[in-house]
Amino acid sequence: MTNSSPDGSIMSAHGIVNRFGKQTVHNGIDIDVAAGEVLGIAGGSGSGKSVLLRTLAGLHTPQAGKVLADGRPVADLLPAERAAFMGMLFQHGALFSSLTVAENIMLPMREHTQLSNEEQVPLAALKLALAGLEPAAGSKVPSALSGGMVKRAALARALALDPRVLLLDEPTAGLDPTAADGIDELITQLNDVLGVTVVVVTHDLNTLFSVCDRVAVLADGKITVGTPAKMLRDKQSGVHDFLSGPRVDAARAAMVGTAKPKQQGAEHGK
Amino acid sequence: MPASASSLSAPSFSVTTDHGRVAFVGGLGIGTVAEARLALSNVPSTPSRHIDVSALTSLDTAGTLLLCALQDRGDTLIGLRADHKRLVKLVAGLDRAPPAAAKQAPGWRRLIIATGRAGAETLKDFFDFLDFTGRAAATLGQLLLHPGGLRPSAIAHHITETGVKALPIVGLLAVMISVVLAYQGVAQLRPYGGQDLTIDLVSVSVLREMAVLITAILVAGRSGAAFAAEIGVMKSSEEIDALKVMGLDPMQLLVAPRLIALLITLPLLTFFADVMGLIGGAVISQSLLSISFDQYLPLVRKAVDSGDLLVGLIKAPVFAVVIAVTGCMHGLRVTGSAESVGIETTRAVVKSIFLVIVLDALFSIFFEKVGI
Repeated sequence: MTNSSPDGSIMSAHGIVNRFGKQTVHNGIDIDVAAGEVLGIAGGSGSGKSVLLRTLAGLHTPQAGKVLADGRPVADLLPAERAAFMGMLFQHGALFSSLTVAENIMLPMREHTQLSNEEQVPLAALKLALAGLEPAAGSKVPSALSGGMVKRAALARALALDPRVLLLDEPTAGLDPTAADGIDELITQLNDVLGVTVVVVTHDLNTLFSVCDRVAVLADGKITVGTPAKMLRDKQSGVHDFLSGPRVDAARAAMVGTAKPKQQGAEHGK
Repeated sequence: MPASASSLSAPSFSVTTDHGRVAFVGGLGIGTVAEARLALSNVPSTPSRHIDVSALTSLDTAGTLLLCALQDRGDTLIGLRADHKRLVKLVAGLDRAPPAAAKQAPGWRRLIIATGRAGAETLKDFFDFLDFTGRAAATLGQLLLHPGGLRPSAIAHHITETGVKALPIVGLLAVMISVVLAYQGVAQLRPYGGQDLTIDLVSVSVLREMAVLITAILVAGRSGAAFAAEIGVMKSSEEIDALKVMGLDPMQLLVAPRLIALLITLPLLTFFADVMGLIGGAVISQSLLSISFDQYLPLVRKAVDSGDLLVGLIKAPVFAVVIAVTGCMHGLRVTGSAESVGIETTRAVVKSIFLVIVLDALFSIFFEKVGI
């Protein structure tokens, strides 16, 4: 896709400090998101993954540090610019319960584009199909959807304005393995074909190892970034604690078994 | 690959037509598809046009949808870039039929359907209310037989919430109501020289009707809504189900303390409103009728007897049951969404105020017939 920062990063955060009371969650975090990549953010519970994502999205103002979106402070983005730049998938979907799924998807279109209703309806249907939902799901209300469908519908809404960056908060949490695999595939496909940059916060080791180009591990208020393979070899205590154990070994074995078919996608983004 | 848009604003886009050959130039995206559509409408719609898309710098799904629609009607896209081709292929391969619009019955039939549905719902509501009241009464009876199941701390909490914290507003409203009644009384009775009867009017109507009515309406709005919302949120977050799984009865744990608390507080609040109403009457008598407090008390004693006080107070427990049962019942009817908490809370308040006033009217007729 595109970038205006000279270093090729579409979003970056520098010197982020977040404290809640006496607890320091982030202690000077630097992270650059390269245009077109899938960046995974991992870490144990309470390590501040979601807070970091919310900081990147501009929903949370850090005590110190700055977040740049496309080279500009994220707080300075106008609402319409922010909507066109980033889409966010919240952990529990955050679909508006009083609207149908299709209306949820059309809400940002209605606010930020000049598309007529006749143009919005097929576009919303396309987003649903992109997210892997049946057309019939569009007329349902969120409370009538299953957990996996809620995630897909929320992803369709996040894609409504074809944002350049997708921020995903635990996209596979609470899903059965098949549904989680479906979401993983979807992320890869969206990144590959649409060229959208993806930042995904997850505990899901399969997502980390099969989808992400780079993995960032949060531990003790610091962040370590690298390719999944490099992170697995990392012997730094916080990272090693998180990325070791039987589950990690199983996920690693699975990763070796299925070589990642997404080199083309990475090319596409540049 | 050229940059699609270095700024966040919509990239520039234009359509050129040259000897019937259409070319898209620039970025075709969600911000520019309307423009593209407009420009295309000016091009003669010959069956199969050739559209040059080699100069497109960026393409998003909205733009791709337009390209697919053009392909569907028989146009040929020329010079599609490889990455754009993949997008077109992806979108063309998806099942993107918009959901079929729900079939709507004609207007007159919808009216009949809505009427029938409302009727059936009201009937069901009525039976639900009876059913819930019955179950609440059974729980209460069971608790009286086995007082061990009573939860004094929960009851005390609800007494504080529904009673003690309502004292200031109930007192203020009772004073206000007697001021309103006194002004009307004086204005209406003065032409006949009967303005002194205003004291009778105010004290009788406050004790018999106004104090209990205003208290019940206020408590319905305050505590009825709180009951419905508290229980509703618990229901929507599966806390009620958790209670059931643990073998705890929501009726006993949630409904009974609220019902008992309201049965205690509403009569007490009514009595408080009686006193405040009479005090309000005293103040207004002094200013409007120049009747001092010392003269006022004997006049009140002459105007009312203990029957008037009892008529008012005896209604309070009935209203308490109505308010608590309606609030809790609607709270338990919540189904998941935040919206439904709002709907049920509103229904609880509207229904309990409605029932309070209807019952009050019935009480009035009843007391008139039996001559109290």
